[in-house]
Amino acid sequence: MKTPIAWRNLTHNKRKLLVAVSGVAFAVTLMFQQTGFENALFDSTVEIVKQTDCDIVIFNRARFALSSELRFKKAHLDRASGVKGVEMTTPLYIDNTVALFHAKGFRPRPIRVVGTALDQQVFLAEEIRHQLDLLKQPDSALIDRLSKPEFGYRFDGDQLLGPREGELMGKPIELVGTFRMGRDFAHEGNLIMSDRNFSRYFGYRGLDRLSSGFDPLSLVDLGLIRATDGVSPSSLKEEIIRALPAEVTVMTRAEFVEREIAFWSASTPIGIIFKIGAAMGFVVGIIICYQILATDIADHISELATLKAMGYSDNYFRSLIISESLILSLLGFLPGLLFSLLIFEINAQVTGLIMLMTIPRAALILGLTIVMCLISGLIAMRKLLTADPASLF
Amino acid sequence: MNTDSNTISRLLDQWDPDPESLSIRVNGLEHFYGNGDARKQVLFDNQLNISPGEIVIMTGPSGSGKTTLLTLIGTLRSVQEGSLRILGTELRGLPASEIVELRKNIGFIFQAHNLFESLTAYQNVRMSCELVRRKESEARPKIEEVLTRLGLGERIHYKPKSLSGGQKQRVAIARGVINRPKLILADEPTAALDAESGREVVTIFKELAAETGCTILIVTHDNRILDVADRIVNMVDGRISSNVMVQRSATICSIIREFPAFSGLTASDLAAVADSMELRRFQAGDPIIRQGEPGTEFFVIAQGKVEIVIDGSTVNSLESGDYFGEVALIKDQPRNATVIAREPTACFVLDKVEFRRIIDASASFEDEVRRALFDRQ
Repeated sequence: MKTPIAWRNLTHNKRKLLVAVSGVAFAVTLMFQQTGFENALFDSTVEIVKQTDCDIVIFNRARFALSSELRFKKAHLDRASGVKGVEMTTPLYIDNTVALFHAKGFRPRPIRVVGTALDQQVFLAEEIRHQLDLLKQPDSALIDRLSKPEFGYRFDGDQLLGPREGELMGKPIELVGTFRMGRDFAHEGNLIMSDRNFSRYFGYRGLDRLSSGFDPLSLVDLGLIRATDGVSPSSLKEEIIRALPAEVTVMTRAEFVEREIAFWSASTPIGIIFKIGAAMGFVVGIIICYQILATDIADHISELATLKAMGYSDNYFRSLIISESLILSLLGFLPGLLFSLLIFEINAQVTGLIMLMTIPRAALILGLTIVMCLISGLIAMRKLLTADPASLF
Repeated sequence: MNTDSNTISRLLDQWDPDPESLSIRVNGLEHFYGNGDARKQVLFDNQLNISPGEIVIMTGPSGSGKTTLLTLIGTLRSVQEGSLRILGTELRGLPASEIVELRKNIGFIFQAHNLFESLTAYQNVRMSCELVRRKESEARPKIEEVLTRLGLGERIHYKPKSLSGGQKQRVAIARGVINRPKLILADEPTAALDAESGREVVTIFKELAAETGCTILIVTHDNRILDVADRIVNMVDGRISSNVMVQRSATICSIIREFPAFSGLTASDLAAVADSMELRRFQAGDPIIRQGEPGTEFFVIAQGKVEIVIDGSTVNSLESGDYFGEVALIKDQPRNATVIAREPTACFVLDKVEFRRIIDASASFEDEVRRALFDRQ
């Protein structure tokens, strides 16, 4: 038998409880927002690779990030296709700095255009796979439904509303379907088209000094390689490295994703900014939580001192304050989580970023919330342990 | 005052209790507040022995140090100078962990009720039971019984918000006594109660003391409850200015007032006489006074039998309640007879100076004796 004093004291006054829970939930939401944006940045950036069905990615050794436009010769990719254990290779052509999209009545905006070979099913999304045939049509493309509304298009479900025509690089283009990929910090929207169409819009690529015979498709942005069943990507990677010159880098898909995230997180201030934001939320949470606990102790100081006089040990009071901290963190986390989910949804709609709430991410914030409240509890504990029963007389 | 022989023999048995069995043993206790120049002494060389089962009322003006003494006895302050033994344990230098254990044997009743607003009366009292890890099934009937006896039977599961001030105080008392502590320290426990509830509290104290032999120390200014006190301790300026066992004092008074010269004394004067009398014991055959010696003391027989011998022949025998030795003091002559104990005898002895100071007369006893002792500060 044990009277749950921690719970009773915290929940006795409903108004105070509401204030306390809101305070903690506020800090939780703050942390969720900041880590959410940071993750959205990373998730959105690597989404294009995540949506492809490949085991290994090869790219120009100097390409420090996806958004840099350093390409390599398609010949290297062709050579890789001869390596034992390679089931398939396919090039991905990406253009985002010069690609300008213009819908009638709207201002031209830069857009990311992805060119893909139609004879290979490289995308994972069923809706893209089904629509590849439509892309055989000249001057056609699929448009990302999460592209900025400023491009001039509205969607209902996966249907494009209104006119399907537009201009890309000053040439007419017809949007024959839609898909879902998402924006990131560098790209406002996406188009997918066939390599053949791609070469028509981006003929300038054939003028590069590396290219051979003015073929715009001779320079590849990413080479995607799938291993045959039973071949491990890491060992295949070693084989391909041996087969290819040092001017291309070979990585497994996971390594590539990791490298891309590491670039944004470490080489740009963006990762730091959000981490500082989350840390602020954490610190604000400690202060809020300390205030709640210290007030609770002050409100009950006579009763607690009486317990001390009765013979309750310091350990009892330590566990009491730790219980209060844990209760606060859990009570505050739940509404904070629900509120954050709502805000994530709104953010995703407004920004087109991928705002993912995964279980490990929620668990991380739960952990931070518990640590936050425990730190507050430890600070408030001193106040409790100095409660002097002699002052009761 | 009923001075039957049982009362007297119990009184004599407890006259010099075995120091090891004392509940509270204060010896040379001093206490200081502050440090350096601001250091101020609040307790000065205090002595106090209290036996199990005693109900002690402690009184004195504010600032007299009684609260300091109470908190020292309650282990809530650490002993600085002198010795303080509680329930056989020396508190001076006792490690904190043992102090916490010792506190479980002490029941505290504070002036403020200090109940958790978030807990019901029952749960507040249960906080005490949890301390000694008693089972719920075992604790429940006890808690209900105590609360019912304190007039809270209908309100066992009420929260403090729904209780009156007196009811809250009674819950706090229930919490203090539920574990049947060996020592109960109460600070103005009846101040917030009406006469009836106050009486009920005092009755519970009395029963606890009688049943469990627990010692109860009450700091109070409530003279309605003086009748429960076995001992009244007055403190003035950090010193125990008087420490009177009421029963003992009253018993002595009832014996000595039979003496004509004392019969006219006021109760307070009589109490003062009783207070200054000393108990002396004699074996059968011991001469108590000898004929021809100068008379220096007056004797009242508390228990036993003596013979008066003049010039070698026994002229009379005296027993409990009788007195002798007064003639030599009044007439300032040598002893006119020898007195020999015939069986083990106990006498209250008053010295000549004190005896001679006694002059006037008055009536009425016990209550006035108590009030006089209580007001003497």
